[in-house]
Amino acid sequence: MTAPVLSAAASAAPAVDVCGLVKRYGKVEALKGIDLAVQPGEMFALLGPNGAGKTTLFSVLATLRAPTEGSARVLGRDVVAERDAVRAQMGIVFQEPAIEQRLSGRDNLLMMGLLYGLGAATARRRATEILASLGLAEAADRPARSFSGGQRRKLELARALVTDPKILFLDEATLGLDVDARRSFWAQVRALAAAGRTVFFTTHYMEEAEVADRIALIAEGKILALDTPRALKARLGGGVVKLKTEDDAQARAWLAERGFSPEAGGDELMLLHADPAAVLPELLRHLPVKALRVEVHEPSLEDVFLKLTGKDLGGDVPAAAPRGGPGGGGWS
Amino acid sequence: MRRGIFAVLVLDLKRFWLDRARLFAGLAQPLLYLFVLGAGLGASSRLGSGGYQPYIFPGVMGLSMLFTATFAAITIVFDRQIGFFKAVLVAPVPRPAIAVGKIAAGAVQALVQGVVLLFFAPLAHVPLGWNILPLLGAMALAAVTFSALGVAVASRFTSVTVFPIVSNAVLLPMFFLSGALYPLAMAPHWIQIAAYFDPVAYAVDLMRGALLGKFFMPPWFSLAALAAVIAALAWSAVRIFNRGEDTDLGPTKFTWRR
Repeated sequence: MTAPVLSAAASAAPAVDVCGLVKRYGKVEALKGIDLAVQPGEMFALLGPNGAGKTTLFSVLATLRAPTEGSARVLGRDVVAERDAVRAQMGIVFQEPAIEQRLSGRDNLLMMGLLYGLGAATARRRATEILASLGLAEAADRPARSFSGGQRRKLELARALVTDPKILFLDEATLGLDVDARRSFWAQVRALAAAGRTVFFTTHYMEEAEVADRIALIAEGKILALDTPRALKARLGGGVVKLKTEDDAQARAWLAERGFSPEAGGDELMLLHADPAAVLPELLRHLPVKALRVEVHEPSLEDVFLKLTGKDLGGDVPAAAPRGGPGGGGWS
Repeated sequence: MRRGIFAVLVLDLKRFWLDRARLFAGLAQPLLYLFVLGAGLGASSRLGSGGYQPYIFPGVMGLSMLFTATFAAITIVFDRQIGFFKAVLVAPVPRPAIAVGKIAAGAVQALVQGVVLLFFAPLAHVPLGWNILPLLGAMALAAVTFSALGVAVASRFTSVTVFPIVSNAVLLPMFFLSGALYPLAMAPHWIQIAAYFDPVAYAVDLMRGALLGKFFMPPWFSLAALAAVIAALAWSAVRIFNRGEDTDLGPTKFTWRR
């Protein structure tokens, strides 16, 4: 119970630690028992369709909603019992705009700095630094409403960074942005993660989740899978290799001898393997015939997700989460 | 706590400054009451318009301040509709500081509106002298009351479309029952009783008493009643802010003491 013990425990703790988290709204169970741990410095994605429970989990971690059951800790602090301590160390970007459109970008950051207890001088200095580092220096003194969509989201990011938080939470942070603006936004988030910050983000864009170190796939309030993007895709039996050689029949026989099971796919050979990138160089080096063309297709996260939910949907499915069409209309 | 109050206050006053034109737009309604209704009704009242206008002046000022404070509180509802209020709620600011900051910001706006209206007092034959000091004190207390009322109501709403309807259903009856436009002493008995349950009545009575020297309720009782009302409303706003986004759940275990 002494202070040094507590602080030692806090520094060794995971950045985010969620245990048996259940959240009910009346009869609707939005989260049905979530367990996950995010390591310090990790970039962690919560990926799932609209209505999966992403934002509910996000709100609990952001101290905006209380768990019905279970617990959640951020940087070792309980999100209910130690709310102010949790709040002080988080930077949060919501999916909705949280900037005052009529104030300038700089004033928005100053106000946020004051709310977080930075002195006016510190807030001013931090605001200038962050605006410059996010490429907003020129726009800084214009009213925020005159910003482009991409600039606005960057201003949201800047707002979350004013206090120099150790952990950054992003909820669908690039909603409504075009591809270029999204790419530029994520490049900046990646740079922040590379600088040692923990980043926890929710998204329903596959390609955004790909930048994460680990991904939790969530649907209907449950985590279906939690792993690195590569390992998740490897669950589908890994990658698809398409091979065209000078003599496909000979290549096929040779591959079969080595325990692979190539199939004829059109005028080429098709090979399923858990991790083609790991075995392919070796195979190609020893292949007795000349390879004319090699293609490796990775299964997409969407494939993984559809396979997992497809299995899951056979079981207990309350009419909770709205789902897109068979192609996953909620994904685009 | 003090820093939090200060930050919320500065934020709201900064936004108020962007809207300062509203101070003048907000004059239209009270001036109509004062110089059109006041002149028209006053001519047919026993007081005559020279007596009626000064009589309703504190009432009209109360009306103007009540609406200014409520309008200031609507920013909470508006901020909730976008994400701005969430950003305030996830800041490490004690919830009571948010409530106090919001109430203070609304009160400053209402007080400024009241002071602007004060410049029209000579035109309404209002006798102004040293009585302006107790009047300003009463106005400040009224401003805090109205702002607390606005914040307590606004904190319960998530949509700006229904808020004006509900606030009119609350504000207008409180205004009409307050004796702002007629002497409570000559009103029907039921109105006199109702006035004792109306915070606006206490506020208007204090302002009128400070200005004209005649109180309907004992001033010490008005002071105590307003202090109690402010405390209760602020407490109820804190309770709502404590729930964060769990507003649709009714009372939860999520209180600020934990």
